[in-house]
Amino acid sequence: MAEAPNESKGAADFASEAISYLDTLYRGALRLTRDPAQAEDLVQDTYVRALRYQHSYRIGTNMKAWLFAIMRNLFWDRFKGRRGENVSLDGDGEFGLYDTLKDETAKPESEVLDSLAASEVVRAVEQLAELHREVVLLVDVEGFSYKDAAEVMGVPIGTVMSRLHRARQALQKSLWEYAQESGIVHGESG
Amino acid sequence: MRADKRMNCPDCRQRLEQFVDRELDDDDLRHLEQHLSACRDCADEYQWHASLKRLVRVSCGEGEAPAQLRERLLQILS
Repeated sequence: MAEAPNESKGAADFASEAISYLDTLYRGALRLTRDPAQAEDLVQDTYVRALRYQHSYRIGTNMKAWLFAIMRNLFWDRFKGRRGENVSLDGDGEFGLYDTLKDETAKPESEVLDSLAASEVVRAVEQLAELHREVVLLVDVEGFSYKDAAEVMGVPIGTVMSRLHRARQALQKSLWEYAQESGIVHGESG
Repeated sequence: MRADKRMNCPDCRQRLEQFVDRELDDDDLRHLEQHLSACRDCADEYQWHASLKRLVRVSCGEGEAPAQLRERLLQILS
């Protein structure tokens, strides 16, 4: 039976909007998997699943968040074998690069940030634990609200905030170590 | 100029990440902005957090999906 015109238009609209998020989904997949081939597989699987479950997407809601939620769940199921609920995030400790710089270097804090190469920031993000990496990806890179990030990750907003705080501390620690190794700053790591 | 009495430095520092993420409610936002306008130390730390967030967004927010992936997906979605 031929597809009704309004159904055909709906499918075309869905496809058009979905494909508009390809670049951002691919960048997210690359950050999560840290491997271009796996990122391509993850994105393709995300679109295949989105197409299969497009009836569950409510028109007018946040498709980007919906697609990220599908991709996030596929990532944990297929690449990690779990959804991440029980992954330990211990051991990062409290670390504030801003305070460390104020205490230990004569160089203005903003100058240190300006000295960091984009590739080094990407490396530091990719070295974060997966649960830290995904919250930084969602909130800092993609600009998700805490509420939308919580829905994507399937956790309360408070968990998003605490993971984000710890993720940023871990990120600062990594950047501090790089700044020391590369001679941007001189001082002892805290 | 004195810092706003309704928000001290520890309260401000505790909310700086939410401020940078644009997640504060109107009351906290007003009090925090008043505090930042009067407190150089907290304003410096705010600039630091904002710069770091911007650096992460710019550094990780570039790059396009491979053309062949786009082609495959367009076929899947058509």
